[in-house]
Amino acid sequence: MTMTVSDDTPGRAVTARLRGVHKSYGSVSVLDLPELDLHAGQVIGVVGENGAGKSTLMGTLAGSVDRDGGDIEIDGQPLVPGSTEAAGRLGVALVSQEFPLVGQLSVAENLLLGRRPRNSSKRYLVDRKAQHAEAAAMLAEIGLSASAIPVNREVRTLPVPARQMIEIAKAWGREPKLLILDEPTSSLGPVEAEMVLGLARQLAARGGTVLFIGHRLDEVLTVSDRILVLRNGLLVADLQPEEASEERLIREMVGGEIVHGKPTPPPPDSEVVLRVEGLTADGLGPVDLEVRTGEIVGVAGLMGSGRSRLIHTVAGAQPATGGTMWLGGKAYAPNSPGDGTAAGIALIPEDRKEQALVLFAPISANVTVSILRRISRGWLLGPRRQRDEARKITANVNVRMQSVEQLIGSLSGGNQQRAVFGRAFATDPRLLLLDEPTRGVDVGAKAEIYELIDRAAAAGMAVLVASSELEELLSICHRIAVMNNGRTVQIIDHDQATKERIMTAAAAANKPLPTNGAAA
Amino acid sequence: MSAQSTLLPADVPPSPSRQRAATRLLRKLAESPEAGVLIACVVVFVLIALNAPTYASIGNMQVMGRDLSQVGILAIGESLVILTGGIDLSVGALAGLAGILAAWFNVNKGVPAPVSILLAIAICAVVGLWHGTMVTRLKVPPFVITLVTFTVAQGLSLAITSGLPINGIDPLFSNLSSYYVDEIPVPALFFVGAAAVAWFVLERTYIGRQIYAVGGNKEAARLAGIPTGRRITSTYIASSVLAGVVGVLVIGRMNVADPSVGPGWELIAIAAAVIGGASLFGGEGRIVGIAAGAILLEFISNGLLALHISPYYQQVVQGSVLGVAILLDRVRARYFGRGRR
Repeated sequence: MTMTVSDDTPGRAVTARLRGVHKSYGSVSVLDLPELDLHAGQVIGVVGENGAGKSTLMGTLAGSVDRDGGDIEIDGQPLVPGSTEAAGRLGVALVSQEFPLVGQLSVAENLLLGRRPRNSSKRYLVDRKAQHAEAAAMLAEIGLSASAIPVNREVRTLPVPARQMIEIAKAWGREPKLLILDEPTSSLGPVEAEMVLGLARQLAARGGTVLFIGHRLDEVLTVSDRILVLRNGLLVADLQPEEASEERLIREMVGGEIVHGKPTPPPPDSEVVLRVEGLTADGLGPVDLEVRTGEIVGVAGLMGSGRSRLIHTVAGAQPATGGTMWLGGKAYAPNSPGDGTAAGIALIPEDRKEQALVLFAPISANVTVSILRRISRGWLLGPRRQRDEARKITANVNVRMQSVEQLIGSLSGGNQQRAVFGRAFATDPRLLLLDEPTRGVDVGAKAEIYELIDRAAAAGMAVLVASSELEELLSICHRIAVMNNGRTVQIIDHDQATKERIMTAAAAANKPLPTNGAAA
Repeated sequence: MSAQSTLLPADVPPSPSRQRAATRLLRKLAESPEAGVLIACVVVFVLIALNAPTYASIGNMQVMGRDLSQVGILAIGESLVILTGGIDLSVGALAGLAGILAAWFNVNKGVPAPVSILLAIAICAVVGLWHGTMVTRLKVPPFVITLVTFTVAQGLSLAITSGLPINGIDPLFSNLSSYYVDEIPVPALFFVGAAAVAWFVLERTYIGRQIYAVGGNKEAARLAGIPTGRRITSTYIASSVLAGVVGVLVIGRMNVADPSVGPGWELIAIAAAVIGGASLFGGEGRIVGIAAGAILLEFISNGLLALHISPYYQQVVQGSVLGVAILLDRVRARYFGRGRR
C-alpha cells in the first residue's frame, strides 16, 4: 500500500487519489476535478444542487461512468475507467439510488448474486441452507434481524426501504475500502436512517473510507469528517465539520450570489388559460394552480417532489385521479396526450432521446410528427410537403443544420431542443408545458432556449415550466410554484423569489431529525 | 389569441439542394439497405439464369410469381407489424386456416364462393383486431399473443378437416389463381398490389408516417399526441387480412384445401422483412426493400431447384442469406451511422 501523507490530514493514508478527472456530455462539462484525495478512516460528505456533478463523481469512482480523462488510484492501484468490475476488485462498492436487484429472486439469492455461499457442502447444486445462513449473517452484519427482512422472501414483494437496506448489506458484504452511498437515507425511515449513518461511522472507524452523498444537510453535517461541495462540476468548497453549517453549505451550493437574471415584465391582467383545482394523480397532489395568457409559471422542487408528474398529468400523459382542470374556460379531462394536443397543449418532455425524438429518423419526420394530420390533404401526405413544412418549422426556431433530411441525432443538444420547440410551436398551442427545457444543452444554447420561451409567452401562450435549476426559473418565470412531496407548498412572485426561499420551501422536512451537528 | 400567429412558421422558399446530386446519390446507395437488396436480386437472378437455362423462362417466372403471392404478401403484412416494433408469428398458420375456412364454408356449408372468401377474410380481420387489442391494451407481448394464434389456428385447421384435404371447392378459387394478365399470373398481381398499397399508405399518408413514428419511439409518439394504440392495432389487422388473402389464393392454386399448408411461412416472411432492411426494434424499413427481400428469397429457393441442388439444402441457404443480411445491416449501421446502434 502506498502511504501518502497529505497536508490537511496528516498521518492518514489516501484511499482514493484523483488527478485531473473530468467528464463532459457533448459540450457540457459535468465534472472537472484537478486534484482530490479521499483519506482512509473518514466519512466524506458530498453535497451540491441537482446537476452539480455528485452522481458523476460517484459513477466515475465506481466505474459506471466512463471518465473522459484523468487518473484515479485506489490504494495506489490505478483504476481502469468505465469498468464496475475493476472498481469492485479494487474495493469500491456503490449503493446507488436505483437498486439493481432481481425482483423475482429471493433476498438471499440477491445478496449472494454472482457467487456461491462460502461454507457450502455442495459443489454443483444450490445449497439453499448455506445460502440462507450466509445471507442472514450478512443482514445481521448491518444490524438487521431475520425477522426484519426474511431471507427467503422475493425481493419484489418488499417495500423500498427494505430493498435499500439489502443493497447496503450487499455492498457491506464486499468489505469495501471505499463505500459510496448515494442519498442512502432518502427512502428510509428515521430508524433505518440512523442505522445507515451508524454503519458509515463504523466503516470509517475501521479505517475505511465512506463517500456520503446527501440531500439532507443536517445528516451530512452529523455524519461527516469532511464535506465537499460541488457546483457545476467543480469542487467549490472543502470544509471541516467545524467550519460548516447548513447556511454555509447552502451558500456554497447555490454560489453565494443571488441570480435574478433579467426581470421580465409582468403580464397584463390576462385571461386564465389553465386552472387546476385539487388535482391529484399517482404521487401528486392535491395541486392548485393558474396560468394566464403570456405568463411563464415555474415549477420548482427537489427530485421526486412531483414536478414532472404535474406536467405529465396536465398533458394527459399520466391519468389524474381527482380534482378538476379547466383549459381556456372549458372543463378539461384528458385521457391521453392526444386529448391534450387536441385541446391546444404542447408538451416538451424532459428526456429528449427517450420521450421526444426518433434519433435515427430525419429532422423532417421529427419536427412534423405532431402536425402530420393537419398538413396532409385528406389522408395524403407527400414527402415534399412534409419537407417544406419541416423547413418552415426549423427556420422559425433557427435550427442550424445542413438539410431537413439529415438525421436529427446528428444535431447538437441545443439544436435538437430548438427543433422540439419548433415542433411544439407549429401546433399553435395555447398552453406550452416544459419539463427541464435546457437539460443537456450547453450554456450558449440555453440563452437561446430562454429566448424561445420568452417568445412563446410574448405571443400569448401560457407557459408552465418545471426545472431543477433554480437560476433558470428565477430568470425566466413570472411566478414560481414550489412543490414538496407532490403538493404545491408555495407560489412565489418573481420579485420576491430567491434561491434560499425556494430551497427552504422545497426541502422542508417531513420527518424531523436533529439539526445540530454535534448531536451524534 | 390572435397574437399567437406570430409563432407559426412563416413561409420560406424550399432550399435549392440539387448540387452534388451525384455524390449524394452514391452515399444514399451505400446508406440504404434497399439498394443492397435490389442489387442482390439482380446479381442472383443473372448468376442463376446463366447456369440454369430454364430459370429465366416465362414458365418459371410465372411459377415464381405465384410463389411470391404467398410468402411475399405475408411479408408485406408482417413488415407492417415489425415497423411498430412488434412481430406476428401467426400469419402462416392463419393463412392456412383462412384457406380451410373458405373451403369449408363453400363445400361443407354450401356458402357461395365469394361470400365464403369474404367470411374467411373477415374472421382474419377479427383475429388481427384481437392481436392489436391484446398488445396495446393489456400489454401482452406480441410474440406471445400471436404464438397463441399460431397454435390455435394450426390446430383448428386440422380439427375442422380431421386432417384430410377438402376437395371440390368452387372453380372461382382456382380461377383466381390460374388466370393471367398478359402472361402475368393474377396472384403475382395481388403481391404487386399489396406492396403498392402498403407503400402508398406508409409513404404518402399521414397514418403511415405516424406508424413510423410509433415504431421509432413509442413514448415520443404518444407524448406528441399520436394515437399509438390505434396505429399499432391497424397493423395487426392488416397483417391478418393479408394472411387471409394468401390463404384463399393458396387453395385456388392447389385446387384443394390442405390443412398442413401454411405454418412455417411466417418465418420466411419475417426473414424477407429483415433482409429487406426492416429493423425488429421497429421504425425502420421500407416497402421497396421488403418486397425485394421476398423476391430475393424466392429467386434463391427457386434457383436452387433449377440448379438441381437437393431441396434439403433450401433452409440452409435461406438461413445463411438471412445471416448475411443481418451482418451487413449491422456493419452499415456502424460505419454509416444509420439506424439504431
